[in-house]
Amino acid sequence: MVKVIREAEYGQVQECPLAVLDFSATWCGPCKMIAPILEKLSEEMKGKVEFFKTDVDESPMLAARFGIQNIPTLVILKNGEEAGRETGFKPEPLLKSVLESYLN
Amino acid sequence: MKRYDIAIIGTGPAGLEAALTAQARNKSLLLIGPAGLSAKVTKAGSVRNYLGLPNTSGAAMQAAFLEHLESAGIRITDGQARNIYAMGDYFAIQTGDADSMFEAETLILATGLPLSKSLPGEDRLLGRGVSYCATCDAALYRGKKTAVIGYTPKEEDEADFLSELAGEVLYFPQYGGDVRTAPAVKVIREKPAEILGETSVRILKTDGGEYEVDGIFILRETIAPDKLMPGLELEGSHVKVGPQMETNIPGCFAAGDITGPPYQYIKAAGQGNVAALSAVGFLTAKQKQ
Repeated sequence: MVKVIREAEYGQVQECPLAVLDFSATWCGPCKMIAPILEKLSEEMKGKVEFFKTDVDESPMLAARFGIQNIPTLVILKNGEEAGRETGFKPEPLLKSVLESYLN
Repeated sequence: MKRYDIAIIGTGPAGLEAALTAQARNKSLLLIGPAGLSAKVTKAGSVRNYLGLPNTSGAAMQAAFLEHLESAGIRITDGQARNIYAMGDYFAIQTGDADSMFEAETLILATGLPLSKSLPGEDRLLGRGVSYCATCDAALYRGKKTAVIGYTPKEEDEADFLSELAGEVLYFPQYGGDVRTAPAVKVIREKPAEILGETSVRILKTDGGEYEVDGIFILRETIAPDKLMPGLELEGSHVKVGPQMETNIPGCFAAGDITGPPYQYIKAAGQGNVAALSAVGFLTAKQKQ
């Protein structure tokens, strides 16, 4: 499951050993297309990666903190520290292999 | 939403031949591209080696192609594919705004030679202030300073739309003739040279000066294949294909100039034929599963 959070709940993301935070918005086409892929990966990678999602219009401070300028942007965090980011749509096999590279 | 068997992107010889072949194999098809056919066909001076059409002009070739299409009952969906998403078991194709979406089981890319090269700094800053879609990302630039580089007059609408949200819009038309944009859009007739910025876009450098901006929208007539469809593997600037015209993405095939030289009409048509038959084979195998 991808957990929808707001700014105040960001602490939950920082507590995870490995987390993906998806910055998106309701009006963004590629965000809509990547959403079911993230949902699927969150099931397939259960217990290894935690998936979160936030709306840039509802969490502008969080988006500003990460300097988000295009969406969707996936920020990958290891123990609360940014380890990398992926911008734009990616097909499932490609996205999965990218996320798996952070598992070690 | 109706899901087509085969979506074909492009109306040059590769796309048209793919459509005729798909139609002959009784598949539902969606053919997207300029309804008047690819400009490269209509503008050709003369073609001497196309079987059955000796020493023909581009205009005569266009007429022959359109007549063939009409006799087969194939309709062109007029427009440009802006984004294509490989969703795993299908493809989603966006043509204009977010509402004009199409879906297909298989895809044939036949959009021709990727013409324009990236600007220095463009690839590095893509997703960090560089965008190819004003309607997609405009809301992120509320109150900010933006530049729009438009390669055709139809991008003036995108600049107008952006000016409703952004603090400032500088429009750099890369074509001659009149520019009709909203009063809030500032038109600058200069050629972009480079995009500067460390972690995000800071400056657009042109042949006439430097402009401090937060975002740059680059709107070209042909979108690079891997930007049109994220995840697609290239070889140089061309789509990498195997002998059956298959790409690295299952169910996606490519044909014509997009796959590399030689750039010949008859080769493009032949590859379109192979791509369509491969797509038919892919559909058959999928149904058996």
